[in-house]
Amino acid sequence: MNNKKLIALVALPLFLMISGCDGFLNREPIVGETEENFYKTADDAIVAVNAAYAALQFERNPAGHFRWFWGDIMSDDSDKGGSGDNDVFELLLLETFQTPLNGELLDSEWKASYEGIYRANVVLENVPPIEMDEALKSRILGEARFIRSYFFYNLVTIFGGVPLADRVLSPEEYDLPRSSAEEVWALIESDLVQAAQDLPMKSEYAASDLGRITKGAAQALLVKAYVYQEKWQDAKSTAEAIVNSGEYFLDPDFTQIFTPAGENGPGSIFEIQFMTESGGTWDNPNEGSLTNVFQRARGQFAGFGFNIPTQNLVDAFFMEDPNNEDPRLKSTLFREGEPMGDRGIFTKDATGFPHDYYAKKYFNSLSEEASFGDPVNNGGSNDRVIRFADILLLHAEASYHSGNEAAARSSLNMVRERARAGETGVLPDVTASGQALLDAIYHERRVELALEGHRFFDLVRTGRASTALGSLGYVEGRHNLFPIPQSQIQATNGAITQNPGY
Amino acid sequence: MRISTLITGLTLVFLLPVGLFSQTYTVTGIVLSSEDGEPVIGATIEVKDNPDNLGTVTDFDGSFSVGVPDGDAVLLFSYVGLKTLEVEVSGPGDLGTINMFPESSLLEEVVVVGYGTTERSKISGSVSVIKAEDISETPILRTEQAIQGRTSGVTVSQNSGSPGSELTVRIRGTGTINGGDPLYIVDGVPVSGLDFLSPNDIESINILKDAASAAIYGSRGANGVVLITTKKGKKNQGGIIAYEGYFGVQSPSKKMHLLNAREYAIIQNEAYLAAGETPPAEFMNPLAFGEGTDWQDAIFEDAPITSHNLSISGGSEKSTYAVSGNYFKQDGIVGGPKARFERYTARLNGANQVNDWLDIGTNIGFTHFTRNALAENSQYTSPLMRALNMDPITPVRKFDGTYAYSLYADTDVANPVHQIEQTNDEWTSNRVLANVFTNIKFMEGLSFRTSYSVDATFANQDLFFPIFNLSVDTSLNDAPSIEISDENTVVLNRYSWINWQLENVLTYEKTFKEKHKFEALAGNTILENRQHVSGGANTGLPSNNPEDAYISNATGTIDSQTASEWATESSLISFFTRANYEYDNKYLFSTTLRVDGSSRFGANNRFGVFPSFSAGWVISQEDFFDIAPISFLKLRASWGSNGNNNIGDYAFSTIVFQGQNYAFGPAEDITNGAVATTAANPDIKWETITQTDIGLDVELWDGKLNVTTDYYIKNTRDMLYAAPIPHTAGTAAPVQNIATIRNNGWEFSATYRERATALKYSVGGNFSVVKNEVTNLGLGGDPVLSGFIQSANAFASQTDVGQPVASFFGYVTDGIFQNQAEVEAHAFQNEGTAPGDIRFADLNNDGVIDELDRTYIGNPTPRFSYGATIDLEYKGFDLGIFLQGVSGNDVYNGIVRYDFNYVNRPVSVLDRWTGEGTSDIEPRVNIKDPNQNSRISDRFIEDGSYMRVKNVQLGYNVPKKILETVRIKKLRVYIASQNLFTFTKYSGLDPEIGTIVRDNSLELGIDRGFYPQARTFLGGIQVTF
Repeated sequence: MNNKKLIALVALPLFLMISGCDGFLNREPIVGETEENFYKTADDAIVAVNAAYAALQFERNPAGHFRWFWGDIMSDDSDKGGSGDNDVFELLLLETFQTPLNGELLDSEWKASYEGIYRANVVLENVPPIEMDEALKSRILGEARFIRSYFFYNLVTIFGGVPLADRVLSPEEYDLPRSSAEEVWALIESDLVQAAQDLPMKSEYAASDLGRITKGAAQALLVKAYVYQEKWQDAKSTAEAIVNSGEYFLDPDFTQIFTPAGENGPGSIFEIQFMTESGGTWDNPNEGSLTNVFQRARGQFAGFGFNIPTQNLVDAFFMEDPNNEDPRLKSTLFREGEPMGDRGIFTKDATGFPHDYYAKKYFNSLSEEASFGDPVNNGGSNDRVIRFADILLLHAEASYHSGNEAAARSSLNMVRERARAGETGVLPDVTASGQALLDAIYHERRVELALEGHRFFDLVRTGRASTALGSLGYVEGRHNLFPIPQSQIQATNGAITQNPGY
Repeated sequence: MRISTLITGLTLVFLLPVGLFSQTYTVTGIVLSSEDGEPVIGATIEVKDNPDNLGTVTDFDGSFSVGVPDGDAVLLFSYVGLKTLEVEVSGPGDLGTINMFPESSLLEEVVVVGYGTTERSKISGSVSVIKAEDISETPILRTEQAIQGRTSGVTVSQNSGSPGSELTVRIRGTGTINGGDPLYIVDGVPVSGLDFLSPNDIESINILKDAASAAIYGSRGANGVVLITTKKGKKNQGGIIAYEGYFGVQSPSKKMHLLNAREYAIIQNEAYLAAGETPPAEFMNPLAFGEGTDWQDAIFEDAPITSHNLSISGGSEKSTYAVSGNYFKQDGIVGGPKARFERYTARLNGANQVNDWLDIGTNIGFTHFTRNALAENSQYTSPLMRALNMDPITPVRKFDGTYAYSLYADTDVANPVHQIEQTNDEWTSNRVLANVFTNIKFMEGLSFRTSYSVDATFANQDLFFPIFNLSVDTSLNDAPSIEISDENTVVLNRYSWINWQLENVLTYEKTFKEKHKFEALAGNTILENRQHVSGGANTGLPSNNPEDAYISNATGTIDSQTASEWATESSLISFFTRANYEYDNKYLFSTTLRVDGSSRFGANNRFGVFPSFSAGWVISQEDFFDIAPISFLKLRASWGSNGNNNIGDYAFSTIVFQGQNYAFGPAEDITNGAVATTAANPDIKWETITQTDIGLDVELWDGKLNVTTDYYIKNTRDMLYAAPIPHTAGTAAPVQNIATIRNNGWEFSATYRERATALKYSVGGNFSVVKNEVTNLGLGGDPVLSGFIQSANAFASQTDVGQPVASFFGYVTDGIFQNQAEVEAHAFQNEGTAPGDIRFADLNNDGVIDELDRTYIGNPTPRFSYGATIDLEYKGFDLGIFLQGVSGNDVYNGIVRYDFNYVNRPVSVLDRWTGEGTSDIEPRVNIKDPNQNSRISDRFIEDGSYMRVKNVQLGYNVPKKILETVRIKKLRVYIASQNLFTFTKYSGLDPEIGTIVRDNSLELGIDRGFYPQARTFLGGIQVTF
């Protein structure tokens, strides 16, 4: 064989290879799409906003934040529970106000919130240029604005002023400093005002869109934002807009609200949707909730036994009449001897723990669990974030502060009337006025919304926290806000500063 | 004497006519091998400097007769594998027995380096060699074990003692957090994992440790390169048929001392009372209990291990072949057949010389294995963790024979014996590694080699979760939820990993004026890798028998079915060149340059350039060198850089993934959502490791003693690392080139061999010192946390600047509070802190014990590691001892799940504090542990140093005289023991704990109920026909 030919034989493919290098090394993802090639169609816009909804379900991974950790356990309504003091020890430190600065739980709350905000921002930046039906587009932008303000609402009530990530941040902007609480509230207000304009009413959505954010939800969150800022007139008028829309009414049967049948019921304004879907794992329960397993009793009831109701809470249900319990108590918690759904009778032996009560609102029966995968973790209970009763009670509070006691009593008594469930001799209409009326409204909030993640924030907002929680270690001016996670102060090289008192 | 004189005389007479004409005289003798005293057949005997090429070969009994020209002469005896011998003769006669010694100089050993071979004496980099004969006497279960303790600079540790589990191999320290495994190359083909390879098929393992040696592999050579060559046939060698087999029994070598039932009840009773709670009634009278259940006895068992290997190899003038088949089966000491690893391999290596310029060949290996996987090294699910934590009161079975459940445990700690029985997790893997090559010789010195290879793995994972219920009354479900499963599930996952590689290498060799030896090489590689994973699952099988677990048998609804699919690919193009120059065997120079382009980097920084230089000076070749016992002395130095792209695919581009779903609608329909959850970094580039190495090779007493030592500094820069970013970003952190790590170390190895006496022996040893330090984690880089310990709900390890990788980080204990005055005098720890609790040091003296009082409390990486071998041979008997150990490392003992108050504990708790002066080490017991005595602290840090008698074996070679009659060439029988003794202070089951999570450099040295290595006794036979 001629050497020249041989060399040519070798050199030619070598040459071809070199020239073909770039093509060979250019690999686009097989599964998934690069961002540049995405956000082109209406369908892309819908899945983009769906991903922002998915952030509402974050409970553990990529980060965890149970609303009841902050709203209930931190308050006088419930204790941590678990397998012992050292089971999520951080929670024990938090609820006894020995607040750790570098806790995992606060860090998770912060992280999950900003991931939700990022996803909403992705929608708000990438959807507007898409050529699509304008009505659908403005609905999607409205949904994204609501989700962004919902996470900012969580952040501002837990931490106070936070970095105002109102856009997808570039790497240079990652260490954005904190804005004031007022600036955060301003963004929440403007987002929600816009969203309330853009979003359809509950009845205007197709059935298949059940669970999407409605105009009512945006208004309801706006009511809360006003109440926090003590903009009583705005709160009152916005709440009235919800009432007058005719979209919501109180489910006559209180006991139904927290059952599967009660999900997205007539009084539901904003619920985070969860389902007992197959195939979840501990770190990724997919569309399932971990609240169910966390709150169920241990032992035979296959739960982790967290959020143990206090005697103080139980006593609140006997406050009006020591001989007649508030009918809502039986829907709020389990007492010894009662059946825990189809899981058996609640005895201390069966739970293996000496607790007298267990939370009931997010209890799920064995028959409600997913049939496959990691059913222990895949709870199906929707998180009832804003109920109509909540708005009515905020309306009562706003009316009271606006000097309209009659309107306050009217809303308050609507809630009480439903709670009576036709019984006589309990929960008579409130006729009080002045401070007694305000106290009645506060009391009603506690029992109506018990173990739904409101109590701690209500106590702080209304200045009653040091009275109610002082014996647990609460110090006004310090514990009304949680500390900024130390990790985030470090990660931004101090650009983010700590809250006073920590 | 007389007889031999007579024979010589007769021979002389017989040869006389020849001698007369050619003026020669005759010398006779018999050539024997010093190794076994057997005749050397076919040894060449030549007369030195003889233009007439006079000479002969020995015959079947090793005898020879050679004509020598009149006068003094030198006879040269040579034979492959034996050292050439010179014998001076001056006249006719019988030389009697000539002993030929094996090639004793390690320096002449052929060493495989990147894209070629060379003699050890010519190497200017740092390369370790392990030959088949070093490992063939010892049954090794996995290829990585052949490396452990055999060579300096390489640390190997078990990730688990379970059959078929991976080992961690670190060459010269942990250089990266992106998977520190070396690059494995089998017959020129890069492969992932070595579980498919039968150790019997290995001819040699060469480890390229310094950057200059590895630089020819440029990319991915950063963690060192392990070159494995499989056995080939030899030309002109009659067929060799060899069988090797062994059978053994493995058993646990150690048990932990835990409380028995009586002691458990005493401790529990006290712990409840200390917390002000009422203990369960039965604990009030501990004496009513006996020993209770020993859960370790319940799960440990003696497990068989067996291997059969048959190989046939040989070659003609033009071709060689080697075929082999191997069967290997190992059960687990925990789980028995539920932890079984069973492997079948078949191999064909062949080469053929087509004509005088063309060679072709192929190496094909096929492996089929099944591995039954048991949950291991998990603090949540492993049977071992459960056995060590389960209370001793619960029996294994109830009176009716069904499995019992614990009345005290709920989550995590379930009946481990039942769990093993319910585990059905089988991995089946089929893997073909095949390459074809051709070698074209253009002219003397210039040749071209091209090879094409495919490495294809098809694997299945079959899982079945059966229905069970350990309740006494199943209608009441009285058992804890973990002991009840009311629906069965079948899961199937399929994997395919396909890699192909095309490689071309042009080599030119030329020696000028005898002293200038020159070699140059240029080549390129293109490589593509594709992974494909799919899976499905369903529920509700009518049969609870794992044999019937097929998805289509399921009766579950469509909603309960799941399916998933994933695929990813990457490609690599490389160009490389090397030039070697050697002057008079004295001065050695080598330089390489490799350019790699990887699809894992964006267009901005796709290519990396990796140069290297090395030089060697053979001082002993200099004229001035004359130091008597030193026969060889070489000084070498090298510098080079390597790359690492072990970061997964597509990190340079922002990818929108589906699967961020939500449930809408009355029927809760899962609705798709999509978003990019990770920020991209379009500018990422190759991670680079630069290494400088200085080494010395010394040989004394003509090869009896060989010593090699190296010092190196290895710097990793631009380490690919997704440094945490502020959460405000809302995405996972992008991969960036930011961190740096430094490893420096010193290595030493020595071998002394004596082969000339009746008692032949060799003694070898090596040790390595390595210091690892993270030098930078980027601007404001937070420490990287790892090693989550559930019982403390915290991470035990962190990687931070100025510290070794994954150092243990926690509180420092300072004895036990003996009385209330001491509690009050000390910094505030906790509301409930009381006498008997641990006093933690207030490191920052601020009067409060909090997170700021934590510090570095241990290092999981050994300060030094060592190995030693002793081999003795006497009259057919051989004895081999192999020791291996590490020193200066710590283990975090995270076995006990202190977050549960019902778990069993080590007997050390019996020496707990019960009153002033009773203990300053072991705290009081209290089910609430208000002081958090179980937080991450040095209480759980133990010295992980160990020395292990890894292998001891005694063999006997049946004498050839006996074997000849049955046409057997060699027959050796042996008995051996592995892990016979382990000397350690560590209190857990096994101190040798590697990275617990595969390819995760940061999960180091944490015992969460580690699956220990077995002590094995076995007997084997090796026959060659």
